[in-house]
Amino acid sequence: MDVFILLLEGIFVSFQPLNLGLLIFGCLIGLFVGAMPGLGSVNGVAILIPITFIIPPTAAIIFLAAVYYGAMYGGAISSVMLGIPGASTAVATVFDGRPLAVKGEAMTALTAAAVGSFVGGTVSVILFTLFAPPLAEVALRFNAPETFALMVMAFATFVGLGGDDVPKTIFSILIGLALSTIGLDLITGKPRLIFFNIPGFLHGINFLVLAIGIYGIGEMLWTLEETKGKVQMSKLSVNMKEVGRAFGALKKTIMAMNIGSFLGFFVGILPAAGATPASLMSYGITKQLSKNSKEFGSGVPAGVVAPECANNSASTGSMLPMLTLGIPGSPTTAILLGGMILWGLTPGPLLFTQEPEFVWGLIGSLYIANFFTLVLNIALIPAFLMVLRIPFAILAPVIFVLCVTGGYAPTQSLHDVWLMLLFGFAGYILRKLDYPVAPAVLSIVLGPLAEKALRQSLILSDGSMGIFFDMAEKPIAAIIMYIAIVLLIMPAFGPLYRKFFKKAQTT
Amino acid sequence: MSIIKKLALVIVSLSLVAVSSVSSAKPFSPKKPVELIIPAGQGGGADEIARLVQGVIEKNDYASKPVIPINKAGGSGGEAMTYVKKKAGDEHTLIITLNNVLTTPVNQPELGIDFFNDFTPLARLITDTFLVWIATEGKNTAGVETFDDFIDLARGNGLVMGGTGSMSEDELLLGMMRGQFGFDAKYVPYSGGGAVAKGLVGGESDFTLNNPSEQMGFYQSGDSKALVMMTPERNPAFPEVPSSYELGYPDLEYYMMRAFMAPAGIDAEVEKYYTGLLHTVYHDDEFQTFNIDDGKLMSWLEGFGLKDFLAIEYAKHGEIIKNFN
Repeated sequence: MDVFILLLEGIFVSFQPLNLGLLIFGCLIGLFVGAMPGLGSVNGVAILIPITFIIPPTAAIIFLAAVYYGAMYGGAISSVMLGIPGASTAVATVFDGRPLAVKGEAMTALTAAAVGSFVGGTVSVILFTLFAPPLAEVALRFNAPETFALMVMAFATFVGLGGDDVPKTIFSILIGLALSTIGLDLITGKPRLIFFNIPGFLHGINFLVLAIGIYGIGEMLWTLEETKGKVQMSKLSVNMKEVGRAFGALKKTIMAMNIGSFLGFFVGILPAAGATPASLMSYGITKQLSKNSKEFGSGVPAGVVAPECANNSASTGSMLPMLTLGIPGSPTTAILLGGMILWGLTPGPLLFTQEPEFVWGLIGSLYIANFFTLVLNIALIPAFLMVLRIPFAILAPVIFVLCVTGGYAPTQSLHDVWLMLLFGFAGYILRKLDYPVAPAVLSIVLGPLAEKALRQSLILSDGSMGIFFDMAEKPIAAIIMYIAIVLLIMPAFGPLYRKFFKKAQTT
Repeated sequence: MSIIKKLALVIVSLSLVAVSSVSSAKPFSPKKPVELIIPAGQGGGADEIARLVQGVIEKNDYASKPVIPINKAGGSGGEAMTYVKKKAGDEHTLIITLNNVLTTPVNQPELGIDFFNDFTPLARLITDTFLVWIATEGKNTAGVETFDDFIDLARGNGLVMGGTGSMSEDELLLGMMRGQFGFDAKYVPYSGGGAVAKGLVGGESDFTLNNPSEQMGFYQSGDSKALVMMTPERNPAFPEVPSSYELGYPDLEYYMMRAFMAPAGIDAEVEKYYTGLLHTVYHDDEFQTFNIDDGKLMSWLEGFGLKDFLAIEYAKHGEIIKNFN
């Protein structure tokens, strides 16, 4: 019962006028930074940190958590409306959100994103409230071999992402992995694949540069070619019937909500993963397990719900290692962590007992923030839909400008803008050749995480791969690894199996 | 007063203003936001100090234009240093240092960075210390109570050390200790001091050489303990931890410097302005309290003292790297 009293006190804290005002303001800023390509929750929170020196720590964390949270919702908006991922966490939302908008069902996509986010956020904050201390223990035991096993599992789900053409999918994964090795070697610290000694390659290929290039520029070129610029997205009307239809579509997304919420939370609490991998993995697994997995990518609401649910869930989850262990679960929490230290708090095992007002105020505020962002989002849908009334001839240059700013913003280097344009053309050509591009985007995100975990594990085991299959010493890693292998084999041999099975039947 | 008299007054006062603004050489102040380059990722130690400096300046209006921290973490600081080198003469760029500014020019000669001629050192504000940490319930370090126990154990067994990345300060420090005490350890790099601390408490590594703030949470909760602080004296934030001098190992002394530099080729006026600004920040109460509580050493140094210090540290790091390889 103690938990509920503490939680009620926390909710009470977040209803104090200053805190509530900052919470709503934070959600709005979050929506904006999330929706602006290139500006994500990381930049939003980093830019706003200095402002928080003039307010008490509890108000500060509520404000910044609301920004973080709002950005998870906001990212979906530009993913759906413009086909440009607003933030790295919303890349997977493009896969199905954009096709839905093109089909004239933007309303459904936005509703699915908002409700999915709300469900993911709420489930995870409940899990957080009830199980924070034991889950911190899980995070503590989740080390390099376990992380690598999880990454292998994620890659295994990707193989199913590109449809039945397994060789083309694997090609796409390998391209992504190769790009992810550019930059600084994670273990030796030496520069790697610095083409023509251009210093811009030293910071590696930013994942957003690839995603914005492929989805923003590539998609724009594709649409221009298909329609010769004459397209106006679709007829749009916002009436009760549409709203009813949008909510009706959610019935089929319950599985996606479950997967997104729980998987997202679990990936979120693991150090150094965060909301981006969570949303991508959630999309992949939902697709694999779905009965109509072939329709994913052509615009199904479950394809929007899965990543949106997971990114909110993970963003809450990633606060757990931040508060209890003092380690960031995502790039944004890394900055929040810096903020906490600057506010004079020591994140770590004692924080829950030493600063209950801070911790429970934050947890309480997450419940409230969830509610407010849902209301804001549903209320603003008509405003977002206006974007689609703009003729494409006007919209295309706007998208182009947003892509360029989005490519420039994360690292502030023109080098990345050129790269982004290059990826745009490459993505366009790959698409013409019918190569799936999503697996490349996914593997550039997970590549560095997987590489680091693999190499750390192999240092620990003196180079033996046995460390991943050691049931006695590392049962978690071994179990995940075996599941991964099964997942990998299933789609790769599925078509073959069906082929032979059918043959056997007909003969 | 007649109109003519009024006019005359206006003219006289106007000309006075004009004369005064010409005669006293206008002191420099920034005309646009100042970029503060951080040669490390977001959330690390350098990032923390950079954002604290930004916050203190903003909150107290110490500068006419805002300071904007920009992380350029690539290539062990190589990306940041290349960037600042190219900005020679730019009056609106600063860089905060980690020790990687001393090692990267040596480790990556292909970058062509000349540490002594590509930068204008402004001031050192803080030095951060290092400690030897073990987990209180570490399975391989059970029974280790003192630093000498630890050395005996480490000499016999291959212990695993968690660190912040290859050729980073703590790996160099391990190289230094290898020479001094004759033990070696398996070095596993993590991403950042927080992850290093977690790896220790989670049982993946046996010891770390972390900065105080990175291990503070687990220190306060009793999950990890420090055996020695690599300084001449004890630190008030860790009263029970002996200094290396006390234990009779004065060679075991190592610091992380948090200094600020500008690009090469800026005017003396500009240099003076930024040094003054940093000095104001240094004496800010909030800045002082934060750093002292965090176990950092407040160690202002500027001018020739700073140049000498950097020259000594640069040579010392060159030596460590040479022995390391």
